[in-house]
Amino acid sequence: MVTAVPERPPVLGRVTRSARTTPGRLSAAAVGLVLLTLLTGVFAALAVQDKRDTLDDLVQHREPLAAAAQQIFRSLSDADATAASAFLSGGVEPEGLRSRYEFDLLQAGAALGKASSDVGDDALAADQVSVLSQQLPVYSGLVETARSNNRQGFPAGAAYLREASGLMRSKLLPAAEKLYQINYGRLDGEQESAKEVPWVSVVLVVALLATLVLTQRYLTRKTNRLLNIGLVTATLAVALALIWSAVALFVLSTHVGDAERNGAQQVDVLVQARINSLKCRADETLTLVARGDGPGYEKEWAQLAATFTGDGQGNLLARAKDLAANDDLAGEVQLAVQNADEWVAAHRKIRELDDGGQYEEAVKVAIGDAPDSAASAFAKLDKNLIAALDAGRAEFFTQTTKAGNALTGLVLGIAVLAVVAAAGITVGIRERLREYR
Amino acid sequence: MEKLAGLVMVLLLAAGCASSGKPVDLATVTSVDEPQPVGVEINPPTTSGAASQVPQCDPTASLRPGTQPQPGAMPAGSTMRAIQDRGRLIAGVDQNTFLFGFRNPTSNALEGFDIDRVRDVAAAIFGDPNKVQYKVITSAERIDALKKGEVDIVVRTMTATCERWADINFSTTYYVAGQRVAVDRSSAITGIDQLGGKRVCAAKGSTSIAKLRQSAAPPEVVAVDNWSDCLVMLQQGQVVAVSTDDTILAGMVAQDPNVKMVGPRFTDEPYGIGIPKQNQDMVRFVNGVLERSTANGSWATSYGKWLAQAGGAATPPVARYRD
Repeated sequence: MVTAVPERPPVLGRVTRSARTTPGRLSAAAVGLVLLTLLTGVFAALAVQDKRDTLDDLVQHREPLAAAAQQIFRSLSDADATAASAFLSGGVEPEGLRSRYEFDLLQAGAALGKASSDVGDDALAADQVSVLSQQLPVYSGLVETARSNNRQGFPAGAAYLREASGLMRSKLLPAAEKLYQINYGRLDGEQESAKEVPWVSVVLVVALLATLVLTQRYLTRKTNRLLNIGLVTATLAVALALIWSAVALFVLSTHVGDAERNGAQQVDVLVQARINSLKCRADETLTLVARGDGPGYEKEWAQLAATFTGDGQGNLLARAKDLAANDDLAGEVQLAVQNADEWVAAHRKIRELDDGGQYEEAVKVAIGDAPDSAASAFAKLDKNLIAALDAGRAEFFTQTTKAGNALTGLVLGIAVLAVVAAAGITVGIRERLREYR
Repeated sequence: MEKLAGLVMVLLLAAGCASSGKPVDLATVTSVDEPQPVGVEINPPTTSGAASQVPQCDPTASLRPGTQPQPGAMPAGSTMRAIQDRGRLIAGVDQNTFLFGFRNPTSNALEGFDIDRVRDVAAAIFGDPNKVQYKVITSAERIDALKKGEVDIVVRTMTATCERWADINFSTTYYVAGQRVAVDRSSAITGIDQLGGKRVCAAKGSTSIAKLRQSAAPPEVVAVDNWSDCLVMLQQGQVVAVSTDDTILAGMVAQDPNVKMVGPRFTDEPYGIGIPKQNQDMVRFVNGVLERSTANGSWATSYGKWLAQAGGAATPPVARYRD
C-alpha cells in the first residue's frame, strides 16, 4: 500500500492555518497567556525586589553614610575650635581640651572609615573621602608641631596652628560638607525612587487581566459555558497579586513619606544648623586667636548665626521645629533655640569686652566654664542638636523599616500567584481543547 | 529590567577584559600638595606705587619733644587727652615676631621689645603700663590702620622711610636693624646674591620684600602675612631662605637651632613708632617718652631682656630732629 506522503506545509503556513481553527487559536492563546503571566510575574517580582533593595540600601548605606559624613564634619570642626581654645587658654593646654581634641580626631577617623566602606562606586563622593583621608594626617601633624612649639614658648606654634586651621577650613571641612551633601542628595533620590509606582509592571498586570477577561468572554461565546474554573482561578490569582501589591506599595510610600519628612528632611535641617553653629564656634575662638579683626571671622559669624537664631525666615531651628514629628523632638529643638540665644548673648559680651580692650576677660567668657560662658552655651546647644538629630535618625529608621516590612512575602507571593495563574490558564484551556478531540 | 541589562553588561565586560589580565590600579597620588600658611602668595604684583615720586627726606629725623606732661594729666584738647579720657591706649602690634612682638604661649600675654615700647607710652599717659588695647595687625595693614585712625600708635618693627612719611608720622628711631638672609644650617647659600630664582620668603608690605625685588639676582618671592609663617615654610622646606631684618631673623634662630644667618647686613632699617599724620602733638609726646626711656635705662633693660642674645648695637640710636 503506497500512499503519497503529503508534502509538509511550511511552518508559517501551518501556524496561520491552525490559527484559523478554534483549537489552534485556543492553543496559541494558552501559550501567549502563560508567557504573559510568567513575564508579568518576573517583572513584578523584580520591581518589588528592587524596592526592597532600595529600602535596605537606604537604611544600611545611604543614611549611615550621610550620618557618618556629618559626624566627620562635626568632629573635624570641633577639633579645629578645640585646638584654638587650647591655644587661647595659654601654657600647657587643659587636660579636658586635649582629650576632647584627641577624641574628635579619633571619631573623625572612625567615621571616615565607615564612610569609605559605604561610598561604593560614587566617584564624586569617593573624591571627597580621598581628600579627607589624605589631609587628615597632615592636619594632625601640623597641630602636633604647633603644640611642641607652644610648649617651648615659641610663637612659631601659633603659625603652625594657623596653617593647620587654614588647611582644615580650605580642604577638610569643605570635603566633609560636600560628602554630606552628595549623600543627602542620593538619599533623597532613593526615597523618591522607593515611592515611585512600577509602571511597567502595572501595565503588564492590567494587560494580563484584560486578556484573561477577553479570553473568557471568547470561550463563553464559543462553548456556551459560563465559567472556566482554570481561567477564573488564574484571574483571581492575578487580581489578588494586584491588590496585594497595591496595598503594600501604598503602605510603603506612606512610610517612606513619613521617613522623608520627619526623618531625612528634619535631620538635614538640623545638620545644616549644626554645621553652621560649629563654624560659628570656630570663628568665635579664631577671632580671639587672631587678636584683631582677623580675616573676616567676625563677619562670617554674624552671617552664619542668623541661620540658627532670630526671627528671620532663614532660621533653620524654627524650620526644624515645624518638621518635628512629636512633642519630645519639638521640645528638644525648643531648648536648642533657647541655648542658641544664650550663646548669642555671650558672644555679644565677648565682642564688647574684646573691643573695649578687655582681652583677657573676653577670652574667659569665650572658653571658660562659667554657666553663662559661650563655651557652656555652645556645649548645651550642641547637646540639644545631637539629641534632636538622633531622634530624627531613629524616626527615619523606624519608618523606612516599616516601609520595608510592608513588602514582606510579596516577592514570594507574586511568584506563587503567577505560577497558580499560569497553571490555571493551562488547565482551563486544555479542558476546552479536549472537547475538540 | 535594569538588573537584567546590568547583568548582561557585566558578562560582556568580563568576557572582554578577561584576556588583558592586569592587577587593579591602586589609588595613586601624584603630588604632595603641601599645606601652606593662609594668605601665601608667590611673586605677588607690587602694590606700593613704584611710579609715584617720593620726595627726598631724612626718614630718621622726627619732631622735637616739648615739655612732657605728668602721667594722668594730659593737656586739654590734645590727642593724648583723648586717649586718657578713653581709658586705654590702642596699639597696633605683632604677635608673631619672636623677641619684638609675640604672644607668649605660656602666659598668653604679648611680650617683646616693641611691646615694651608700647608699655612705656601707656605708662607715660596713664601712669599704668597695662592700660593698652593691643590690636594685632600684619605688616601690610600698618599704614592703613593709622590712616583710618583704628590705632593710636603702631609699634611693629616698622622701618621709617620717606615713602611712608608721606602717609604717616614716625617717632625718632628706637632701634636700627639691617636686612640679612637666614637659611637652613646645611644650606650652601652664603648671601643674597646666591638667591636668584630660588624661593625666598618675606612678609607682605615690608621693606624687606621690596629690597628682595631690587636685588641683582632677584629671587622668587614668597609673600606671607606674618614673619613666623616664613619660619614655618623654611622648616617645611617650602622656601630655601628668609630675608628680612637681622632682629626678626634672630628671633627665628632662637626658635630653631637648625636655622642660621648668613651674609652681611645689606640695609639699614631704622625702626620708628608709627603715628597718624595729623597727630603731631602725639609725635612730640612719644619722642619725649623715647628720650626718657633711653635716659632712665628702661631701653637698656628691655634690650638686655630681648635683644642682647641676638647681638647688634647695644646702645640706643641717637635721636635726630627736624623740629
